Amino acid sequence: MIEEMKSAPKGSEYDLYFGPAHPGSGNFGVKLKIDGEKVVSARADPGYLHRGFEKLMEYRTPIQNAVLSDRICILEPLNWNLIHAEAVDELMDIDVPERAKYLRVIMAELSRIQSHIIWYGVFSKGIGFDTGFKMAFGYRDYILDLFELITGGRVYPAGYICPGGVRRDFPKNAKEKILKVIDKINDMIKLEELENPSMDARAKGVGILKVEDAIRLGATGPVLRGSGMNTDVRKDEPYEIYDRLDFEVPIRKEGDAYARYWIGIEEMKESIKIVKQALENLPMGNVIVSNFKKPKLNVKIPEGEVYIRNEVARGEAAVYMVSDGGSNPYRCKIRGPDFLHMIPVLEYLLKGVQIADVPAIYWSLNICPADMDR
Amino acid sequence: MMKLGILPKLLKNLFSKPMTVRFPHESIPIPDRYRGEHAYDIDKCISCGLCAKICPNRAIEMVEASKKYKDTCPKTYPKIDIGKCCFCGLCEDICTKDAIRLTKNVFLSTFDHTNVIKYPMPKTEEQING
Repeated sequence: MIEEMKSAPKGSEYDLYFGPAHPGSGNFGVKLKIDGEKVVSARADPGYLHRGFEKLMEYRTPIQNAVLSDRICILEPLNWNLIHAEAVDELMDIDVPERAKYLRVIMAELSRIQSHIIWYGVFSKGIGFDTGFKMAFGYRDYILDLFELITGGRVYPAGYICPGGVRRDFPKNAKEKILKVIDKINDMIKLEELENPSMDARAKGVGILKVEDAIRLGATGPVLRGSGMNTDVRKDEPYEIYDRLDFEVPIRKEGDAYARYWIGIEEMKESIKIVKQALENLPMGNVIVSNFKKPKLNVKIPEGEVYIRNEVARGEAAVYMVSDGGSNPYRCKIRGPDFLHMIPVLEYLLKGVQIADVPAIYWSLNICPADMDR
Repeated sequence: MMKLGILPKLLKNLFSKPMTVRFPHESIPIPDRYRGEHAYDIDKCISCGLCAKICPNRAIEMVEASKKYKDTCPKTYPKIDIGKCCFCGLCEDICTKDAIRLTKNVFLSTFDHTNVIKYPMPKTEEQING
């Protein structure tokens, strides 16, 4: 108690709680120490969405874990499906069929586009541009319709990308529908690219993260690329079929919220390019290895350990899986990219800014409390 | 200064259809693969219990039939707790006899918590009273 009183703010300083009940902050809070209009210091307050996946996965078989891995990040479940499936494939030495690899990449990229649309939406909402929010969530639904058609669920694919391939092949009309949706997303990108005075006024020069600081604090993905570092796991260490695809990694030098917002738009364009290429070259054949066609109860994972890293929409995600030869993984460590974005990077960026800039910085980091708390 | 590029878009929006539909009167079609409420066929079921074993949330429990049905159904049958179900469809995939299927029914919200549990056969008074 005395300690608390000693550390209580003096004079004009006061505490401001941003979240966890703030609309849009997600299940996450930031305790801000404010002096007048200026943030003196910020302290992240995580833990509201902790579900303990790492422990839960130790009690489940690989196919059950595939279903569970959806929920690590609500906004991009298919990407997390992919990482988990790759880790099990590597441990069990499964040769994934060629068609399955293409389907995996198509679904992962659609998931990335959908996630970036949400990012644009909540960022617009954060800076007071409500049209962007409504537009983004309207267009996102077209992609959710696709997920519903292909996987059977709008948000949660329920382990669509599972160890050994994918659970079901595309339905007959899927290709035409994907191309139609991509046209709509192109319209949306055109709208996003229009000159936007509120974006210019609220995001330019706000929350500048220099590249040295970004590396020191452990930023990855769009945040690091917005600061000017050329890095992308899809290029650096290609997985699935990314080495055969032609795409670029967008980079911006400024390192402010506006640069990160543009990275999001440009990444969506690259993802569209990837989906189109993969659809063109889609081979025929099996979509899952024959002994995984029916979910199995007594699959033994061979002894060993594996570290798989992937590029998800928010940065570099990884799964470290250890098996002792049983049917459940012995240990499954999940690296969520947002853990570092939402604690060290956010605390660093919020120091010394105005209160009005807090939402713009917060949402420009492409946050997802779900994958931070896990 | 805002460019005038947005003007044609605005005019177009005035005359285009909205993105949403008026839900109770019309709805977007639900695809065949949709994972909704379970349909269980007791005649096809062989009581193997695979669905109960694969269920990640342990929503399925193999139960014995009540006294009324004991003569016709002597084995154990899956009792599905939809409140625990995550609609992953693993029970549908693992079933060798296609006894469990996931249907397109999405209207599952209820005010009565006893409706959440799906018994393999019609409920008897014995089960309702506990």
